[in-house]
Amino acid sequence: MRLAVELAGIRFKNPLIAASGTFGYGVEHEGLVELSRLGGIVAKGLYLQPRDGAPVPRIVETPAGLLNAIGLQGIGIDAFLREMLPRLRRHDTALLVNVCGDTVDEYAEVARRCDGQAGIAGLEVNISCPNVKQGGMAFGGDPKMTHQVVAAVRAATRLPVIPKLSPNVGDIAVFARAAEEAGADALSCINTLLGLAIDVESRRPRLGFGTGGLSGPAIRPIAVRMAWQAARAVKIPVIGVGGIASAGDVLEFLIAGCRAVQIGTASFVDPGIFEKVLKELTEWLEAHGLDDVNAVVGTLEYPGFGRPCPEER
Amino acid sequence: MGYDRAMPANRLAPLVSREPLGGAFFLLTFAHPETAREARPGQFVMIKAGTSAEPPLRRPFSILSADPASSTFSLFVKAIGPGSRALCALEGGEVAQCLGPLGRPFTSPPPGSEALLVAGGYGVAPFRFMADEMRRSGARARLFYGGRTAADLPLLPRLSGPGLTVLPATEDGSLGARGRVTVPLEAHLDGLAGPRPKLYACGPDAMMHAVARIAERRSLPAELSLDPWMGCGVGTCLGCVVRVQSAEEPRPKYCCACTEGPVFDAARVVWPGDDCSSARRHAAERAGARG
Repeated sequence: MRLAVELAGIRFKNPLIAASGTFGYGVEHEGLVELSRLGGIVAKGLYLQPRDGAPVPRIVETPAGLLNAIGLQGIGIDAFLREMLPRLRRHDTALLVNVCGDTVDEYAEVARRCDGQAGIAGLEVNISCPNVKQGGMAFGGDPKMTHQVVAAVRAATRLPVIPKLSPNVGDIAVFARAAEEAGADALSCINTLLGLAIDVESRRPRLGFGTGGLSGPAIRPIAVRMAWQAARAVKIPVIGVGGIASAGDVLEFLIAGCRAVQIGTASFVDPGIFEKVLKELTEWLEAHGLDDVNAVVGTLEYPGFGRPCPEER
Repeated sequence: MGYDRAMPANRLAPLVSREPLGGAFFLLTFAHPETAREARPGQFVMIKAGTSAEPPLRRPFSILSADPASSTFSLFVKAIGPGSRALCALEGGEVAQCLGPLGRPFTSPPPGSEALLVAGGYGVAPFRFMADEMRRSGARARLFYGGRTAADLPLLPRLSGPGLTVLPATEDGSLGARGRVTVPLEAHLDGLAGPRPKLYACGPDAMMHAVARIAERRSLPAELSLDPWMGCGVGTCLGCVVRVQSAEEPRPKYCCACTEGPVFDAARVVWPGDDCSSARRHAAERAGARG
């Protein structure tokens, strides 16, 4: 059974990647999750400097979902490279760093510091966090800014560059193409959806930051639709993310044209989710007489629409 | 971290017994060998009824007791929301998804003094465990157990035993002292001679803040088991952060209640609306007095 996938020049031993912001810096799960069993890990978003993050409360449970405003609390890129990367290198899995910035220059500088660091397979560019006042979604909500940030990161590193797109836009295809033209090697689709939960007694937002980003199974149909639209719009590969909690969910994204997927919120609920989904996925492929997970990619039968990513086949 | 914690185990935990304690309260016992063997008072599990997709998240519950011989642990649960209701609706043999033991436990009380335990409502859970441990080591404890009314204190009959004095308090006066649990606590502290006791508290936020203020005013050490909304239990979601500050730190920082708590030194907690912790404030005052 071949489970390995390749995209953006990176080999993932299986298509399951831990999503940024849901797996810490990876080391938190040492001993609890066998990290070398993961296809990859996207470390939590990093700026140049440490960040305190958003005021509490930071998470609210919603129907089939989680609304969060963590605000990219983090230790900063230098502390990550010094303290976390040496530990992560011991695990045989593809490590992506999620690059953040308040300015275009900051994104580029974080990327530059990752360049040439052994153990980093690629960079995910966070232009879609809804929970920060600057940067984040401000860059991912304007195709010109998307182009500018991705081009600056592209110029700052030889590592594969994978922008993570925001769902809080009208036509994600426009943003997918802007990122591709700026030199992106692949795309992650999607980040969280902007939401608001209100405490009816106090009549205030339930999150300290106010609005938040919605994740979990509640957003999966939206994520599948947007990942499919992005995959149709560009030649570069797409990594699907949004509400995955089972092999069936993974297969939806693969069939829609994604080459790999990320699992996020479901690993809060069960840190053993990767093993469970990998087992289910293998069983599904065997039951369908398939010996390569890549055979499923882009096989969507949707009358009136061509295959999601025809150039690749 | 100061405490060498056992690695938590993530596994399905069958419900061994379910005992209604009146009202919405239940005593639930689960089979989970690692938690039964390794848990310490103040630690918790992240648990969710295995049969339900909703609500999405597991819930943190302080461990009420752990029994290595039977590979089981027990929780004291009030069925008040979708997560706790689903858990309390489990039948014997049905499973929960359980990760534990988690978090930083209470530290031991100073030798020779009586530990003062302050519990509000279902916050009593970790103190049954703590009292059991203290009894084994020959230490003494006094538990101030408060609620709005007698029905909020269903664990009372199961708490007595050698070495533990229990003082119930209810706001409506239906059981024990009338008023908040801090009233008999302060009365006891007023009459106290001998070694300085240490306070341990678990309960609603307002009670925790009140205990922290009492500890600060009387210069007593205090440990609080805090209960913010928690996503993952292992320090990755950063949802359950508490603002803390030691005497040496110039500014507060966010710490995860799941990995750096849930038990915190009361003097390090920065309360909502405050600029700094009491530890920092006193350090600054001492520095000012010297300067």
